[in-house]
Amino acid sequence: MKRLALSVACAAIVSTAVTGSAQDARLANTTLTAIDGLKVGSVTLPGGTTGCTVILVDGEGVPGGVSQRGGAPGTRETDLLNPLNLVDKVNAIVLSGGSAFGLDAATGTSKWLEEHHIGWDVRVARVPIVPAAILFDLPIGNNAHEHPGPDCGYRAVESATTAPVSMGTIGAGAGATVGKMGGPGTSMKGGLGSAALRMPNGLVVAAIVAVNAAGDILDPDTGKVIAGARKPDGTFADARALLRSGALMPRGGTAPRAVENTTIGLVATNAKLTKAEVSRMALMADDGYARAIFPSHTMGDGDTVFSLATGRWDGQADVSLVGALAADAMAKALVQAVTQATGLPNIPAVRDLKK
Amino acid sequence: MIGVYNIAIMKAWMWAGTAVLVARTVGPPPLANNHGELRRGTPERGQRVGAPQLANKTLTAVPGIKVGHYTLAERPTGCTVVLIESGATAGVDVRGAAPATRDTDLLNPAKMVEQIFGVSLSGGSAFGLSSGDGVLRYLEEKNVGIVYGNRHIPIVPGASIFDLGVGDARIRPTADCGYRAAQAATSAPVTEGSVGAGAGATLGKMAGMERAMKGGVGSAALEMQNGLIVAALVVANPLGDVIDPADGRIVAGARNASGRGFADARRIVRSGAPRGRSGDNSTIGIVATNARLTKAQASYLAQMADDGYARAIFPIHTVVDGDTVFAIATGTRSGEADMITLGSLAADVMATAVIRAAREATGLPNFPAVRDLPNPPAVRDRQ
Repeated sequence: MKRLALSVACAAIVSTAVTGSAQDARLANTTLTAIDGLKVGSVTLPGGTTGCTVILVDGEGVPGGVSQRGGAPGTRETDLLNPLNLVDKVNAIVLSGGSAFGLDAATGTSKWLEEHHIGWDVRVARVPIVPAAILFDLPIGNNAHEHPGPDCGYRAVESATTAPVSMGTIGAGAGATVGKMGGPGTSMKGGLGSAALRMPNGLVVAAIVAVNAAGDILDPDTGKVIAGARKPDGTFADARALLRSGALMPRGGTAPRAVENTTIGLVATNAKLTKAEVSRMALMADDGYARAIFPSHTMGDGDTVFSLATGRWDGQADVSLVGALAADAMAKALVQAVTQATGLPNIPAVRDLKK
Repeated sequence: MIGVYNIAIMKAWMWAGTAVLVARTVGPPPLANNHGELRRGTPERGQRVGAPQLANKTLTAVPGIKVGHYTLAERPTGCTVVLIESGATAGVDVRGAAPATRDTDLLNPAKMVEQIFGVSLSGGSAFGLSSGDGVLRYLEEKNVGIVYGNRHIPIVPGASIFDLGVGDARIRPTADCGYRAAQAATSAPVTEGSVGAGAGATLGKMAGMERAMKGGVGSAALEMQNGLIVAALVVANPLGDVIDPADGRIVAGARNASGRGFADARRIVRSGAPRGRSGDNSTIGIVATNARLTKAQASYLAQMADDGYARAIFPIHTVVDGDTVFAIATGTRSGEADMITLGSLAADVMATAVIRAAREATGLPNFPAVRDLPNPPAVRDRQ
C-alpha cells in the first residue's frame, strides 16, 4: 500500500514536469540552462574519453568577459573580451578537451553559426564570435591521437538545448581528472558540472565547468576533501597536507608536470551588465576556483573562466552581488562535476569510493 | 595581469551610516615581540616539518626584510612599511575594483625596473598614498635605491585602505607617517592587530557599518625543510567576512541584530538581499619569499597569493574593495624555485595572515574585535 502511494506520488510529479509550462521547467532547472536564452550541448568522442561542450547564446549575442589566471592556458578570442576592445557580443563559448588541438572545435561551432546567419555584422558577412578554452586530457585513453575537432564543435552546437545540462563524464569533461598532487596513479575522475542560484527577485546566476585540476576538490562550506589525490589505502592524501609536508618539492617529489591540468568554465546571469561589469563577474567567479580547488591557478593549470550577461531580467543588478553569487555557483558546479562523474579504468570517481 | 580592466570601473564610495567615533589614542607600537601573549590555540604558524619551528612567525622571518608601523595619535589610522634595503624582485596583483596604489605599473614584467626597496601600506584612502613619500625620503637619506649618477632612487610601491569612515576623515597618514614607520622598521617579529595601516581597518560590512567588526594587521610565515621561507603580511579591511577555509567557519564578520552572533555574508549573498553596502573597504597585503625569482615569477606569486584572500574572505574582490597583493623575492636562497609549491604556500600563508588580522585586532567603539564578542567563536588549531 505504501509502495503504491509512493508510485502514485511519483507519477504525479512526473506528469507535472511533463505537462507544466516551459517556465516551470526552467524553475526546476538547477544548471546553466536555468538562464533564459542559453543552450548547452556536449559531444563525447566515440572512445568516451574526450569531447567538447558548447554554450550557445540565443539571438544577437550578449556581452562576455574572461578571467584567465592559470599559468598554462589554451584559449582563443579572449583578447576581444577585454572591455577596451570593440566587440561586445558573444555568440557561443566552446569548452573542449584535446589540449591546444581541441581549440579546433570552435571552428565547427563557427561554421554552424555562419550557416544560421549568426554573428557580428560586418555588412559583407556575419562573423560568429566564439571564444574558447581547452583542457589537457591527452594521457587518457587514446586522446593523444584523437582530439575534438570541428566536427565535435559543430555537433555540440547543433545538439544544444535548454534542457538541464548533462553532467559528469561527458563532453569537455569526458577525459578530465583531478587530484594529481600525489603522483601517478593517485588521481580521480573530474568531469563536467553545473549549478544555478535563483534569487527571489528573479536574478539568476549559474555556472558550468569542466574540472581537470592538479589540485583536490574541496567543499568550501566544510573544508573537507570531496575528490583528490589518494593514498595507497584509498583515503585522501589531502593536497594541503602534502604541500606543507614538502612532499611536492621538485627533487623526488610528486609535483604535477606543467600543462597536464586546467579547469575551464563559464558563469552567466540574466542581469543586464556592461562589458566591464561582466569582466568583473568573471574575475569574481574565479574566486570559486580558489575556494573549491586546492591548489588552484598553478603554473600547471590553465584555469580560465568566461562570463555572459543575457540582460533578459530587468531588475537592478549589483555587480558585487552578481560576482559573489557567481563565485558561489562556480564552487557548487565544481562539487557537482566530481560527484556526477563516472570513473574510467584506474581513475575512480567519487561514487566509486568505499564509503 | 596588473590592474586588470579597472579603467571603466568607477570608485564607488558608498557609505553606510557611519557613527562618529571618539578618536582613540594609539601610540607608536612597541617593538617587542608580541607572541608571548598569543592565546592558547591560535593558529600554528611557521610550522617546519621535521625541524624546529621558525622563531619568528611573521613577514620578517624572511631574512633582509624589516617592518615598521606608525599609528597616528589623533585617529585610528597609520602606516605599515616593509623595507628591503638590499633590494628585491617584485610583482603585484590588483583584483579589487576600487584600488588606491602607487608605482604598480613599474612592477609589470615588461617594464624596466628590476628591484624595489620597500612597500608602503597605509590607511587614509588615496590621501594615504603620500606616506610613500616619507619612505622614499628615509631610504634616500640612507643611500638606498637604484643608482642614478650620484643619487639613489628608492623604488617603493604602495597601496592604501579606505578607513576614512572611522573617526575624523580629515586626519590621514602623510609623508611624516611613512617616514616614522620606516624609522621604526626592524627585523623583529611584526606587531599585529590594530596598529599601523590596520589601526582603522574594519571588516564584515555586508549588513552595514553598524554591524561591522574590527580588522587589522596580520602576519604569518612558513619554512620548508629545504630552507624555503614564505611569509605574508596583510591589512584586512574587507567588505566581507573572514572565514577559516579549513572548516568553513566564520572567524569575524557582519554581526546579527542581537550582536551576539554572525549574520553570515554567505547567507546574505544567497538571499539576494544585501543591505547597506559599505564602501569603507580594501584588503592590501604582501607575500615574501627568500627564493630567487624573475619579475614574471614574482607577478605570478602575487596572483597565486590572491587565492588566500578568496579562501579566507567572503565576498572578496568586489566593486567596493581595492584588494591588492604585492609579492617580493629577496633571492637569498639559491636553487630553482618550484612555482607550484611556492605559489600554493603563498596562498596558504596569506589566508592564515588574514585570520590572524581578525583574531589579533583590538576593538574600537562600535567596532568590536573577535576578542570582544560575548561568545568568541571556538579557535581551532591549524596544522
